[in-house]
Amino acid sequence: MELVFLLEQVLNGLLMGGYYLLLALGLSLIFSLGGVVNLAHGAFYALGAYLSVELTKHVGFGGALIISPLIVGVTGVLFERFLLRRFYAADPILSLLLTFGLAMVAEQLIRMIWGASPLQASIPADFRGQFVLGEFLFSRYRLLLLGVVFVALAAIWMLLNKTSFGRVVRAGVQRPDMVAVLGIRLQPYMTCIVVLGVGLAALAGVLFAPISGVQPAMGMDIMTAAFVVVVIGGLGSFWGVVLAALLVGVVRGVTIHFYSPAGEASMYLLMLLVLIVRPRGLLGERIERFE
Amino acid sequence: MKKYRPLLIAALAMILLPPLLQALGLTLISATDVVIYAIAALGLNLLVGYTGLTSFGHGTWFGIGAYAAALSQKHWFPDQIVVPFLFSMLFIAALSCVIGLLILRRRGVYFSLLTLALSALTFAIAFRWTKFTGGESGLGGIQRAAIGPLSLDNDAVFLALVSLIALGVLYLLLRVVHSPFGHVLVGIRENEQRATFQGYNTFMYKLAAFMLSATVTGLAGALLVFHHRIASAELTSVAFSGELLVIVVIGGMRSFLGPALGALFYILFRELLSMWTDDWLLWFGLAFVGFILFSPSGLVGIWQRIQSRWRPAPEEGAAMSKRKIYDGLPLPAFLRPQASTAGVDSVLEVSGVHKRFGGIKAVDNAALTLKAGQIHALLGPNGAGKTTTFNLISGMFTPDAGTVRLNGVDIQGATPYQVCQRGLARSFQITNLFRGLTIYENLRLSLQARHPARFNCWRDIDSYPVIHAETAELMKFLGLQGMEQIDGGALSYGGQRLVDLGIALGSKPQVLLMDEPLAGLAAAERERVSHLVTTIAANIPVLIVEHDIDRVLGFSQHVTVMNQGGVLMSGTPEQVRADVRVQEIYTGSGTPQVTGRVAGEACERVQLLRFEGVNAFYGKSHILNDATLDIREGEIVALLGRNGAGKSTLLKALTGLLKPASGRIEFCGQDIAGMSAPDIARLGIGYVPQGRGLFAGMTVADNLALGRLARPTDGSSGVVWSEEKILQIFPRLKERMNTPADYLSGGEQQMVAVARALSGNVRLLLLDEPFEGLAPAVVQELFTLFDQLRKEVAILIVEHNLDLVLALADRVFALERGAVFHQGPAEPLLTDLTYRKQILWL
Repeated sequence: MELVFLLEQVLNGLLMGGYYLLLALGLSLIFSLGGVVNLAHGAFYALGAYLSVELTKHVGFGGALIISPLIVGVTGVLFERFLLRRFYAADPILSLLLTFGLAMVAEQLIRMIWGASPLQASIPADFRGQFVLGEFLFSRYRLLLLGVVFVALAAIWMLLNKTSFGRVVRAGVQRPDMVAVLGIRLQPYMTCIVVLGVGLAALAGVLFAPISGVQPAMGMDIMTAAFVVVVIGGLGSFWGVVLAALLVGVVRGVTIHFYSPAGEASMYLLMLLVLIVRPRGLLGERIERFE
Repeated sequence: MKKYRPLLIAALAMILLPPLLQALGLTLISATDVVIYAIAALGLNLLVGYTGLTSFGHGTWFGIGAYAAALSQKHWFPDQIVVPFLFSMLFIAALSCVIGLLILRRRGVYFSLLTLALSALTFAIAFRWTKFTGGESGLGGIQRAAIGPLSLDNDAVFLALVSLIALGVLYLLLRVVHSPFGHVLVGIRENEQRATFQGYNTFMYKLAAFMLSATVTGLAGALLVFHHRIASAELTSVAFSGELLVIVVIGGMRSFLGPALGALFYILFRELLSMWTDDWLLWFGLAFVGFILFSPSGLVGIWQRIQSRWRPAPEEGAAMSKRKIYDGLPLPAFLRPQASTAGVDSVLEVSGVHKRFGGIKAVDNAALTLKAGQIHALLGPNGAGKTTTFNLISGMFTPDAGTVRLNGVDIQGATPYQVCQRGLARSFQITNLFRGLTIYENLRLSLQARHPARFNCWRDIDSYPVIHAETAELMKFLGLQGMEQIDGGALSYGGQRLVDLGIALGSKPQVLLMDEPLAGLAAAERERVSHLVTTIAANIPVLIVEHDIDRVLGFSQHVTVMNQGGVLMSGTPEQVRADVRVQEIYTGSGTPQVTGRVAGEACERVQLLRFEGVNAFYGKSHILNDATLDIREGEIVALLGRNGAGKSTLLKALTGLLKPASGRIEFCGQDIAGMSAPDIARLGIGYVPQGRGLFAGMTVADNLALGRLARPTDGSSGVVWSEEKILQIFPRLKERMNTPADYLSGGEQQMVAVARALSGNVRLLLLDEPFEGLAPAVVQELFTLFDQLRKEVAILIVEHNLDLVLALADRVFALERGAVFHQGPAEPLLTDLTYRKQILWL
């Protein structure tokens, strides 16, 4: 019985990890290609969640799942075009400050529009209930989330490794100068990466709204967790981020199982531990301009 | 006493603050808030503005300071204020020391992210540990208590106390920033690496700054607890940490009192706007975003910009005119090493030193001995391992094997600051100084590092007349007198080189390493600086890397020649001049190692590229100086010249990676100067950089596909480079298509790089050192390949192996200091060795 319960917590942890992963991957991609740390990433996640609550009323959960990330993606285009673009060549600290300011503004805007108290987001009717296997119980919705996260992860991997878009992005991370002398303009790719990143954040917002709740500070809360994942995994490393997300999720899940108030603190302690042993993260490489 | 003017301003401001706020309808409570936030922001700014470490987590210290004061009053010292207050400060100092040891291991963005996480961690604990911290509802019931007979429950009395403490903190911080310690912090902000090579253990300085900053901010937190009589978890949150940082930035982080102004702005904004709207934070956030976009230097920056309209800053030219140059000065006495060490015959002994980077042997069994009173030159072609040897000696890298002895003591593996403290200083090949500090401060930092007071954080730097006198004398010796107040970054390139040398000399070394001190200097300056070098060397032995071979052989007593990481020979300048092997690495043997050239007359061909009067700069250094050359269809043109002559820069200017400052680059009749690199590439210029620039982890097929992605391969510009054709030229790549490019042998990698560069209607191919680091058989194979390519495409090649490149090329252009000084057919240079030497070396 005890073991089954622990297993459930591990599964929940994996799910938590997948949830962080959707944000951390986008962050890491934007960071590696553009050299900017997007502290406003959580704002797009929150926007995705709030939009889904509104949209579900009109077009149902399925519609919200598609439309909300699309709308957020469009705001991502504007964000990249008018703000982020000025900061690619600048000191990364400036973009950190700018996006922090934007996150602050976004949180207040949400408060203005939707109020300070949490909104209700419910699990869609088709996925309520438990999945039962002997003593093992797992909610059907969570199972769905695991599936979606897995599919999203696989799709990003395919995009990065099996398409010419991905080839350009990976090459641009390594040697932007060499990409340029092959006649390729990186700017449109950067726009796409930002759109992809904030779209994924919005997707996470829609999917996890029923579980994590919808409230104005949700963006800032998830941001720090996502950064912990990126720092543990190592900036710019796909598998590093994946590994770190799952590790953080599981450690958190297991900690909650044994002593629930320490759940949140556990991931920060994990981060400190990793950094003592590996200052650049699990699979991180040295990137001079961010040191 | 001008330095302590901020104290006066702050005192006045604090007297005026209460009536001002009351006039605006605010209370003493708000006035106290302003002062407390100002203390916190000033503390944070010691780290952000002075040391250059952007902390996103100072809420941690503010909040913990608050909790430490509150909890200690509650549990241990009821009805007291002084003891809990002091306890809180001690607690923060100790805690920040431990945390600092951990997170100061990272710099830049990583440091910021770590502090952010620290704040999130503290919040998670403070919010969840309800029993201890009161959690969500906070920890109330704090007493302001009394000091002696004076009850602090009166808001005016409390404000007076807070203001007094603020003045104390201000005084402390002023002393710190004006002390030797404070100046080192600014040096770390400007250029931490250089500071370590001046002999500063920068980690300890950063740790001390971190602790001081945390303690001051924590002190403000403790004051806030007594002020509002409650401690809450919000104070430790990321959001609040960010607000503190926002206060600093809005005020102006490069000014001492700027953050205090930011605090006033913040509280006024909050109090006044929250009367009107609940969403004051929205407007505050928007204001902050506006500051970042339009005035990152904050309110103080805006004020300075307005001020400069009335009082424009003095022009650099005017300052330059004050410069006085004294020739023939002896080395100042304080720079002459003590006689005791001069007794040792060999001051620096390097033996059997090895260093690998990945699979490449950068330095392979290097050895040299530097004797007292000598100038010892280190020569060798590009990539011979000279600078790496410097880095191994000066502690930047640890050698894999071998020993480095300084005055008989092993120093291999020591850190740069230890090496410097033991008496070895170096200058840098790429100018490496404190750009935001004046020349005077640049040099003073070096001399200060040799003074016992270098850790002093209380006495004013001006109370050390010895340091000032020495700095002034060093400036005079270098010929920089009169330019004391010019910023390092505003100086001409030649001036920067001189300051770089001065920084090394200011460390009062017993051994001095100079990395290309003459590079990029104008003729008159070269003469003067070489004279300086000989004057210095009369007292301090000098190890020098320099590409002006004539000059360096003229003034050195001993020469070590390196090639491919190892030592080729060591001897007197005469021996080196006469040595056949040395001549071979510089001018070749005159007997081509390779044969099989397809002879082709290239006279009456159509012009493809005309490069005319092009000037290009890297920062302040003028690399291309009216460079002019032309390339015709179907010919191979070689670009020759010493290291640093501007060959690679010329290629970069051609590709658009470096925008030329002036001049015309005509390709197929179109002016491409100033066009972007992708646009130029699409017109048909392919580029293979030095080191090949392949995309690691991607297969050969992927690398080639990227070449074709944006450039047409349909032959619309007259040449067709289909995959089929490319594989016909490089048949070996056929079997390697699915192998990651970085797993290939060097020769195959070079083929991939060329094939990738050609994949797209390419009519001109640029090759930068294509034979570098390859085995002879591979060189032969590539040579044949390039030779055959000439039928298809014009080639501009940079290569230091003269025998090879002259055998391959139809015509040559030779560069020196960015200008073409020789052009003509390759043939006579290939066969007539005397002519070659006359033109190209010695």
